[in-house]
Amino acid sequence: MLRTLSIIFLSLLIVACTPARPVIDEQMMRIDGDMPADFSGSWERDYSRGDDVNQVLRDIYYYLSRTSADRAYTTRPGPVQPSSRDMASITALARLAELITRPQVLTISQNDQEITVDRKDDFSLLCAFYDGVAKGTESDYGTEICGWDSDQLVSHLILPEGLQVTHRFTVSEDRQQLRVVTTVSSSTARVPFTLQRFYKKFERLPPDFNCIETLSMKRVCSTGEIEL
Amino acid sequence: MTGKSGFLTVMVIGCLLLQQPAVGEVRDVAVLNVSISVFDPGVPDDRSLHRDLQIFPRIREVEAKFLPFVLRETLVGSGEWGAVRVVTEADSAAEVEISGSIIHSDGERLEIRVRAVDATGREWFDQAFASRLVQGEDDGVADAGSGQAGLYAEIAQSLQVARDRLDDRALGRIIETSLIRYAIELAPSAFGEYLTEDENGMFSIERLPARNDPMLDRIERIRLTEYVITDNVDAKFRELHEEIASTYALWREYRLKSIEYDGQNARRAEETRSEAPRGSYEAIKNLYDNYKWGRVTAQEQDRLAIAFNNEVGPVVDEMESRIADLEGWVDAKYAEWHRLLEELFEVEAELNRGAATDS
Repeated sequence: MLRTLSIIFLSLLIVACTPARPVIDEQMMRIDGDMPADFSGSWERDYSRGDDVNQVLRDIYYYLSRTSADRAYTTRPGPVQPSSRDMASITALARLAELITRPQVLTISQNDQEITVDRKDDFSLLCAFYDGVAKGTESDYGTEICGWDSDQLVSHLILPEGLQVTHRFTVSEDRQQLRVVTTVSSSTARVPFTLQRFYKKFERLPPDFNCIETLSMKRVCSTGEIEL
Repeated sequence: MTGKSGFLTVMVIGCLLLQQPAVGEVRDVAVLNVSISVFDPGVPDDRSLHRDLQIFPRIREVEAKFLPFVLRETLVGSGEWGAVRVVTEADSAAEVEISGSIIHSDGERLEIRVRAVDATGREWFDQAFASRLVQGEDDGVADAGSGQAGLYAEIAQSLQVARDRLDDRALGRIIETSLIRYAIELAPSAFGEYLTEDENGMFSIERLPARNDPMLDRIERIRLTEYVITDNVDAKFRELHEEIASTYALWREYRLKSIEYDGQNARRAEETRSEAPRGSYEAIKNLYDNYKWGRVTAQEQDRLAIAFNNEVGPVVDEMESRIADLEGWVDAKYAEWHRLLEELFEVEAELNRGAATDS
């Protein structure tokens, strides 16, 4: 029974995540006035909540075994083992999703025009709005766009060979908890892989020194006002 | 008047007394004075383009002040020119006016569009100059020309070639036209009829004031006074140059490194072009890493730009404030001179009319 329920949930999730429409449309890339939510602050991972990668993989395995195309060629009732190719693709997505969502701390800075999510050992996600319109980042290696889906911040990375990474940020009303739903999809995998991570807000201790970065002296710190 | 600007005024007047320049000195017509206005930083209004174009607006503003001074030093060093001054605004009455805009500046390649025009409105040239810095060819961190000496030498050479095409008569005309244009700015009633401008912006002298025209003598004195102030402004550009040259060289060094990292990222992406099966973990991680390292390099540049601003910003702000004080003083005096000269002209014209009637 529990298995059936989880399959139904997973099916709904996959259908919801399957890009029938663009992850970010033009409407989402526009804001009129203030940012819809404030994510600024330091966030540490809440390990008591969130998805277990292996469990999500098992659920997908079960889902694929029920919906596998191979079922059409068998008269045997019940689940059919998904193809090794399907499972290899999903496992690859799962490993990448796990790698991307590994940082224990997110530091988010936000002003009227920009939101920056700093992550250890990875690039910072940037969502910049100019005159209320989000401006993507484009390079030879991919395109990053962002936008607002109601009060959720959505960051979408489009890489070659159909690889896509989407992060959805939601902050609780009291601004003490943050949920990040990361979806990795690829044109080689039948279903995307989605992981939920939760974070708790924490206050960094006020620094003992005022510090600034300089080019010639690197980091310069002082207990008072910094004079170069 | 604030205490600071009062002090500046005293300082400027002191300079005037100490450096009282001679009026009416005979000069070599080929040794023209040159004004170089602060460059156009070439920053697009659309802020959303800055990241894509790798333009750091604050740094470009600094470069727009810094690079003209490097050109000035090259021109002075050539010994081919008279006074070469960096000015904050276009000086239309300058004997030779140089304006420029930064087209590209990334540490590796500098491209500037430079226009030179003389006081008669004749355009000497309007062209882009570019130089590319090859790793290892830089003159070092403390290099005042920031490793772009060739570019400035090329501009200086173009100026010289353009000037050498003109004969002494034409060069003399430039000097005269410059003075009359300056005179018209100050006392249009007295000098307005001496010069005409055609539809192409070329100025022709209709007639020249008498050598002993007291009004012209006053204009020359005021101009020399203004030069003293301009030289003070120019000195601020020198200070700026001295203070930030090493930091700017560091910035360019880092920018060069960033470009090197971009190259490494590209090579890495090419080399690791996965032989792993499409869709495998190795293959998709490679795709992700390629993007990641490109972004990390770009973000490191953003961080360095902030570090540059932290270090140079206070120096530039201080310089801008000091220049604003000096220019404020000049603007106020300029308005006063303009009014006084116009009044004097009226009085003298009245006297002349009276004398003519009496005779």
